[in-house]
Order: sequence, then structure tokens, then C-alpha cells
Amino acid sequence: MTNSIKSGSFWLVPCVVWLTCGCGERGYIGPVADSQAAMEIRKALDTSSGADGEGGAAGAASSGTGWATLKGRFTFDGTPPTMTPYDVTKDLATCTSNGKPPLQQTLLVDSATKGIKNVVVFVRKAPRVHESAGPSKEPILYDQKECVFLTHVLPLTVGQPLQLKNSDNVGHNTNIQGKKNGLNQTIPAGDTVSFTPQKEEALPAPVNCSIHPWMSAYILPRDNSYYAVTTEDGTFEIPNLPAGEELEIQVWHESATGPGGGLVLSTPEAKANKWSKKGRFKIQLKQDETKEINLNVPETAFRS
Amino acid sequence: MTKHHLTSKSIALVTVLLIVGGCGPPEQVFFQSNMREMVSNQIAPKYQQEIANVNEALFGTPDEPSVMPEMKLDIKQLQFAAGPVWDDQQGGSHGLYRKHCAHCHGINGDGRGPTAQFLNPYPRDYRPAIFKFKSTYNPARPTTEDLHRVLMNGIPGTAMPSFSLLPPAEVAALVEYVKYLSMRGQMETSLIGYVFDELGEGDDGERISLNPVNDAEQREVILGELLADIVAGWEEAPEQVIDPDPDAIPADKTAEQLALSVDKGRVLFYGTKANCIKCHGPTGLGDGQQDDYNVWNKAVVTFEEATAALPGQIKTTKASMRDKDQDQKKAIKKELAALNQSLALHKRVQEELLPPRNAIPRNLRQGTFRGGRRPLDIYRKVYTGIAGTPMPGGGPVTPGAKGTLSDEEIWQLVDYVRSLPFEPASQPTRLRINYDVLN
Repeated sequence: MTNSIKSGSFWLVPCVVWLTCGCGERGYIGPVADSQAAMEIRKALDTSSGADGEGGAAGAASSGTGWATLKGRFTFDGTPPTMTPYDVTKDLATCTSNGKPPLQQTLLVDSATKGIKNVVVFVRKAPRVHESAGPSKEPILYDQKECVFLTHVLPLTVGQPLQLKNSDNVGHNTNIQGKKNGLNQTIPAGDTVSFTPQKEEALPAPVNCSIHPWMSAYILPRDNSYYAVTTEDGTFEIPNLPAGEELEIQVWHESATGPGGGLVLSTPEAKANKWSKKGRFKIQLKQDETKEINLNVPETAFRS
Repeated sequence: MTKHHLTSKSIALVTVLLIVGGCGPPEQVFFQSNMREMVSNQIAPKYQQEIANVNEALFGTPDEPSVMPEMKLDIKQLQFAAGPVWDDQQGGSHGLYRKHCAHCHGINGDGRGPTAQFLNPYPRDYRPAIFKFKSTYNPARPTTEDLHRVLMNGIPGTAMPSFSLLPPAEVAALVEYVKYLSMRGQMETSLIGYVFDELGEGDDGERISLNPVNDAEQREVILGELLADIVAGWEEAPEQVIDPDPDAIPADKTAEQLALSVDKGRVLFYGTKANCIKCHGPTGLGDGQQDDYNVWNKAVVTFEEATAALPGQIKTTKASMRDKDQDQKKAIKKELAALNQSLALHKRVQEELLPPRNAIPRNLRQGTFRGGRRPLDIYRKVYTGIAGTPMPGGGPVTPGAKGTLSDEEIWQLVDYVRSLPFEPASQPTRLRINYDVLN
């Protein structure tokens, strides 16, 4: 009796272990390609590569004439957050003023107007571009002082040289990790390095300094200058937009909870503009119109 | 008594059957999707499937690779490297990648093979097509020769061995396969970006599927934009090679000349011009800035941060339900459900990722240089930095531009770095121990 119980429990252990572990426990693997569908796609791609002619895919067909302006304001709905100081761990003499480290800039709300600073608003695809909004060759000074990038969010056009300057007496390195543009360069104290983004980015690319990890900023290279960054009072303006065309506008903020930093809104004003889950909306402007959109942004749209 | 005997016997029988029977036929090997990218871009399951389908249409399967003519990849070499491991009657090896590479780098080249978790540094994830040890400018792809050199020499100080004893044709096939897995990974990320940017479900529930079979525009984008962009990057690598001016390469220096160069390099190393000290530390042991990440680990950190932020978001969304009318509450509830689902997905994907590690600056006193110890290898590191890592460059950013360090200064740094392992401080010294005290 005792023996049989013993032998029973002896076998029971591996058996239970085996059954609980199961076979082929692989964790989460996602989808497996459907071979049949893949074959069909391959056939279609094969023939299209043979008949590769003028690809009319890029750029929507233009339909309207004239130009218009989009402007607006983003205001914070809730108690404005207080920014904590950067965690300055080295080069204290340079990176702090009177021993005080500078404040972070992850979500800047003006206490008087409740305007949200550094919201980026830009046109995703422009069927027509006004001569004033074409790519520029004008160099832009991109300075860093007291271990802070002085321009926190900077849109620019592709081909526009950035003069990366180091106004500190310690060395920096500017590390830009975009999806299409990359740079990682030391910038000696007091020196300047020129860098020209060559490709358009769909969303702002992070700019960091590996030596001072708290240093953080963003650049957004675009093919045209249909972009704006909100100022302290939360306002922005994009002039000379093509009228009579459907324009898709992307709205981005570094602390927004939407995918990739898209600012997702579900307020009534946003719904009226068919705001999407990616932080985009569509508008069509009339010739010489100045359209104004004012948006209240709830706390929940940002990471806490 | 009998009853007990029966139970134990039947349990024994089941166990034996399970062990003998195993888990049925071996599972089919397939390319696992890049779920980190999929989930962080909120790609819906239907799109995940469609992306996997398109990528298989372009690149085939681990057993049967396929290529498009514009990829300029050699299908014969890929077939040689792909598939299960077997030997033919002449003793020729097949399935080279799975034989030599997959256990660390994974079937799809994600750097998460079964042994990856035990290694430090982790094996390279090929999918972003970023490689550290190469001859080209920082953001450029490596050349075929660069990948070949890594396979031949291995990477000193890491688990990556040398494959120089393999027949040359096998090494060449593996290099081609690494390029193939890289392009495949790039294409997957590009397709995810395309779906995220251009397709998706509108608020009216209308869904544009990713199906190039009956969509000429999608075909044009996939081949003419996404794939063309990826291939162009690989094709232009040979033009991006950093070749120092032959006249500037210091030829045989006398001992005095070398000592002078080393001295100048030392001043640069510790000064605010080259800034090496900031990361490699005042001792050169790599004890400076240690809390940054390379791009591969940073991607995991970013994903973990997104996961960690979700519970807070769920909480604030829940709290926002107070004093709202019925319709608004309904909308918020829908939002909450989506957030909870996203959290569950994030957690599942996160379980699969390797715990992120900081990028520790190299200890330059060991004399182990992962990217090669030739002066030229170190020259290129100082010139353009190390792709994917916090290590910046001091030479020109692009061919023809002006760097912050002159060519002469870069060579002085090379000389100093090469001298560091031989400094007295780097050598073990005999401790003067009073053994009488110990005894």
C-alpha cells in the first residue's frame, strides 16, 4: 500500500510537470505568413516590376487654386504640470546656474493663458506648395548652452544646414537618431559642426547628447515648410497653404500618448475635425480663408 | 490496493507515451514577426497578418528564400545558407545559417536565438541594418567586405567566433544571408511604417487593407519606394567607405616621433576637444558615462517605458469618467478597453525581449578592440564613431565636410589609444606584500 502510493506519486510529478508545461510553449509569436496569399502577392509584384513605368503614386492630384491660412491654439484642460529639474550629474559648474539645474521641457504649459508650448502641427502631404514654402538653403543655428539644447523642437526643410553649436566650455556630442537621418558627432567646447538632413521624416526625430544624457530635443526635417510649433501661449499659424485641397494635418507633442507622439483628441472640437487615433485631422480651406481652430487638450492626452 | 496500482500504472504509461511520442513532428520553421514594432505602432492583427504576407512574398521563408531582382542578392548563395541542416553525399554542408548562426542570432536575425540570453554583449539584431564594425560613415550600411571581415576574424571580447576555417564559399553564403535577413527586417519595419502612416481604419470603420494584388499604388510604393530605399542604402555603401589620405597615414615612425604623437593624443583624449575622457573615463577603463544605451537596447527601454506608462493612463482615463454624461462615459469605456488590451499586448511582447543593458564604454587598457586593432580600424572609430552606440565621431560628418578633429589629430588619438594597454598603469604590478603579516 505504502509502496504503491509512493510509486504513484513518483510518476505523478513528471506527469503533471509535463502536462502543465505543454508542448511547443513558444511565448507570443504574432502572425505566421499565409503562403497562399504570399504567392499571389509575389505574382502581382513580379509583373508590376516588369511594367515599371511612371509611378503616379506620390503626391495627390491637385484640384484647387489659391492659398489660405490655418491658425489656432492648444490650451491645457486641467492643472498645469510643474516641470522638475533635470538630473544633472556631471559638469555641474557648466550645466547648472548658481547650483540650480535647468527645468525639464517635456510639457510646458503657460500658467496665465494655459497655452501648450512645443506642439508641432504639419501637413503630411501637400498637393501644391507655395513658392514661399519650398525647401530652404538658409542655415539654422542650433545652439546648446548650460547643457540644454536652446531650440527644443525644430522643424526645418530637407537640405537646410543645421549649424550645431556648442556654447559651453565642456564638450558635447550631438546624437540624432531619426528613421531616415542619423548623426553622432562630438562638438568641442566653443566649436560648430554643420549637418544637413537629407530625407524627410514622418515624425520628429530625437536629438540627444550621450555625454549629458538629460539633454533632449527634437528636429523634424520636411520637404516643405508647411509646419509650425506652438509658442508659449499655445498658438500656431501656417500661411500659404493650398486652398481647395484636402489636407491631412499631423499634430505631435513629445509627451502625447498617441502612437509615435501623435496628439489624440476626442473633445467635441476635435471630433468636428474628424481627429484620428494617430493625432491627425483633415481640412479643406477656401481661397484666401484664414481658418482658426482652437483646441482644449485634456490631461489624459499626455503621459503623466 | 489494486486501485492504487492501477492508477500508478496508468500514469506511468501516459508518461512513457508522452516521452516517446514527444510533441509530434517538428514544427515548421517560420519567420517570427517584429512584434515590438507592431505593438508599439498599434498595428491591428489583420494588418500584422498582411505585413507578414507581403514580406513573405518578397523574401520567402527560412526554408525557401526568394528575392526580387532589384535586391541584387544571390539566390544560390541564400539557398546554400538557408533551410535545415544536412550534408549531401559528397560531404557538402547545407543549412549553414541554422548550423552556425541561428542559435545566437535567431531564425529571423533578431539577435534572440536560444543562447542569446546567456551572452554579454547580446548577439546583434540584424533587422535595423545597423552594424558597429564597418568601414563606412556612421549612418551608412556596411560593405560586403566589412561583414566578411567580421565573420573571418570574429569579434574579440565577445561570443562571436571566427569562421575562417569554413570553406570560402560557405562564408560568402553566410554574408549574403546576413544581408538578406537585414533587408528583410528593414522591409518589415518599412511596411509597418507604411501601414501606420498611410493605411488604417477610419473613424467610419472603413479599412484599407494592405494587399498589393489589386492595388497598383501599393505595388508602386512597396517596390518603388520602400524596397528601392533599402536597396539603395546597401548599394551606396562602397562609396561611403572612409579611406584615409594615404599621404597622411603615419608610416614607420621613430620611437621619438611615436612618443610625441602619443603625448599629443593624450592631451586630446583628456581635453574638451575630443572629449574621450567623458565616457572612457579619467583612467581609460571605461568608467565615465555608463548609463546610456545603444539603439538596440534603447528600443527595448522605450518599449518598457511605454508599457510602464499604460497603467497610469488607464487610471487617469478611469478618473476622467466622473461627472460625465452617459454618451461620454460610453466613449471613455471604449477607450479604456483599448488601453487594457494594449497593456496586455505590451506585457506579452515584453516577456520575449531581452532585459536591456547599458552601453558600457570600452576599457581601453585591455588591448581588446572589438572592431579590430589595426590602426585603420581605430582611425575609423575616432573619425565617425560607432554606429548604433553612444560613441560619436570627430571627423567629417559626410565625405568632403570638415570635422572637428583634423586628420593629424585623429592619428594622434589612434597612437595614444594603441599605447594605452602598454602604459605601466595597464600592466599587472607585483604587489609588495609583507607575507609575515599574512602568516
